[in-house]
Amino acid sequence: MNCETCQLKELELELTEIRDVLRCILHTIFFHRTLSLVRPKDVDCDFLDITYVQCGLPELEKEVDEKIDQFSAWVEKHPNRRSQICLSFFDEKHRHPGWFVNKTERIYWEQWFINLQVMFPKRYSKSNSSKGLTNIQANAVEETSTRRAALEASINEVLFQIIKFANEKKDHIPAIPDRIFNHEIMIPSSDSVFGWNTDVIRRVLNSGHPYSL
Amino acid sequence: MASLSDSAGAGGGRAGAELMVPQFLLKALHAILAVRSPRPHAPPAPAASASAFRRRDRWFHLPIHAPPPPPAAEHLPDPSPGEPLVVDVYLAPSGGGPEEVLERWTVACEPWPSPAAAAAVGEGLAVNRAYKRCITLLRSLYAALRFLPAYRAFRRLCASGQVYNYCMGHRVGSFAAPFSRAEEAAMRTKRLAPVETQLGRLVVSVQYLPSLAAFNFEVTSLASAAIITDYVGSPAAEPMRAFPPSLTEATGSPFPQPSRRPNSWASPAPWPHTLGQPAKFSPPPAHYASPTPSPPTFGYLHSRFSGETAPMTIPQAGGGRGTVHHRNMSEPSRAFMFPPPSPKNVRGEAGMQESPTEINRSFKRADGIRMGDLYSNLPSGSKIKDTKDESGRFSGVFSSSGSPRHGFSRSSSRLSMQDDTDDADFPFAVDDVYPDSRPGSSSGKDTGDQAGSSSHKSQDAAVGYLVHLLKSARPLRDSTYSSHTSRGESTEAGSTSSFLSRRTSDALEEFESFKETRENLLARSRSRLQDSLDKP
Repeated sequence: MNCETCQLKELELELTEIRDVLRCILHTIFFHRTLSLVRPKDVDCDFLDITYVQCGLPELEKEVDEKIDQFSAWVEKHPNRRSQICLSFFDEKHRHPGWFVNKTERIYWEQWFINLQVMFPKRYSKSNSSKGLTNIQANAVEETSTRRAALEASINEVLFQIIKFANEKKDHIPAIPDRIFNHEIMIPSSDSVFGWNTDVIRRVLNSGHPYSL
Repeated sequence: MASLSDSAGAGGGRAGAELMVPQFLLKALHAILAVRSPRPHAPPAPAASASAFRRRDRWFHLPIHAPPPPPAAEHLPDPSPGEPLVVDVYLAPSGGGPEEVLERWTVACEPWPSPAAAAAVGEGLAVNRAYKRCITLLRSLYAALRFLPAYRAFRRLCASGQVYNYCMGHRVGSFAAPFSRAEEAAMRTKRLAPVETQLGRLVVSVQYLPSLAAFNFEVTSLASAAIITDYVGSPAAEPMRAFPPSLTEATGSPFPQPSRRPNSWASPAPWPHTLGQPAKFSPPPAHYASPTPSPPTFGYLHSRFSGETAPMTIPQAGGGRGTVHHRNMSEPSRAFMFPPPSPKNVRGEAGMQESPTEINRSFKRADGIRMGDLYSNLPSGSKIKDTKDESGRFSGVFSSSGSPRHGFSRSSSRLSMQDDTDDADFPFAVDDVYPDSRPGSSSGKDTGDQAGSSSHKSQDAAVGYLVHLLKSARPLRDSTYSSHTSRGESTEAGSTSSFLSRRTSDALEEFESFKETRENLLARSRSRLQDSLDKP
């Protein structure tokens, strides 16, 4: 079984938009890769004019939110850096190398790489003139509105990228279970120089599948 | 899924595809109309569990329930698997005008170009694999419907309480008019990767307007005008609307009430009014007609009541009560008359009858309590009957003077029991006779009656107890009787003889056993002697 990988378009966003963006992307991927019976739920983003679909699984929502919180904490410690979140789907196989040894091996069959660049907003210097302050605020609002419109367009591209990939790559998907596929959401860790956890790299290398960054 | 997976073969695969493709088209249609047909948002239904979905909703593991398809979707004919499904979503001015298509969805099963191609491709296809791919395809359609710009317009037009200058509609068919060059240039196209099935390739595509900025959504002025009109009119309309009804009520309310009141007053004395004032007789028919049944009935009842009850109030009420009292007293008085006939004959006063009644009631209550006590003391009811029988016999024996002789003449066990009972109860008989011997004073009689009743009950209890004792001692009586008849001694002698007889019998048995033992010993000794003599 080949491991299919998808590199999503990089998105530039602010700290306050991380939750909306990651929820939207992760849940859209899960919605397409959960082939068992679901109860679709429409969700509106808080800061963006986008509606995405969840699978209606409370446990999954909780898991995603926890990972987003961890990622946000990492971003606050490493500002203005490119980061990558990896959502992997795998199948577990039990092997018996020896008589008294049981080993569970993860066979990754699909990986999604979400590329983000979190930008911190510029701080404007105070002005003595009220008119100047008003102009600065107006410009800031306009700039934010323009930036968010561009972000929404970019997110839309990413979402349709997910749709395209999900439909083009189907042969590698295992048989439909009665629950969600085994998955793993990997976020950058603080001890990683390259933004990756060494354990993740070790797992990917052990799986014997090509790993593209 | 199980049924589809079972039919994984070529023939079965085609059958599965023939079942799957129409369902996919129908599901796609419902998914599109659910979020492209603006309607007031119904309150969200409670989250249903997966098991609650209908079987039809489970197709492709994606129920269309939030929001559900519009009711009109149920009346649309099911798409034909051989024809494409084309859904145009358009915007049109609310007041009428040209329709502008926002989206054109095409869901079609494109047949294979040739039977050979179908055979070549179809043989290797399994229906379960195609079904799995259709699941993803339908999920993509479901998600794309929310990512496209028309969804924002749909949400805006669904907002409750707002009437916009545009309305969104849809057309469903198997073909649609081609777009003009300008329209074609303005639209973009997205085509999802097809799914190969036995019947052909299942394709989903959409042509859409990337931006709806050209449509200036505004709340219609008619709605605002209506609101302003209501606002201006509401304070003025209230008194205008309220005044005529109040006037009508004010004029109408006093009219019927006075007319009704005279009727009620006129009904008790209609004749004097008609005779005294003939002019009023003409209005009375109109008033008299509506309450026709009430006046004569009321008058009749009133006159009858006043005529009959006025002179007879006390006697009737007293008579009724007297009757009830008499009825209540009849039984107790009768019951009371039997035991003390002589006191009534002596007194002969009606006033004194009440106190005896009360005494009798209390007596009955006491009797009930005592009887309950007796029942609780005695284990079975038969003994109570025996007690009654014994008391009856006792009274009979006591009434006749020759009872002792007659008793002695009989030799049955019952007679012996009766004799014993007579001997035991003899002292109580004196108590029973004693109250009758004192009929002189009333207070003494009352006290005597109470004492007599209590002593009588205690006698009954004692009799019952004695009877129980005697019955339980039957074996002793039998032995006593036999010894008595044989020896002709008194009761005490009988008991002693029974004791001696038991001892004698035991002694005899012991004697016999000793005899046997002695004989055995002698026999053995004799045999030994003979053996010893024979040996030397």
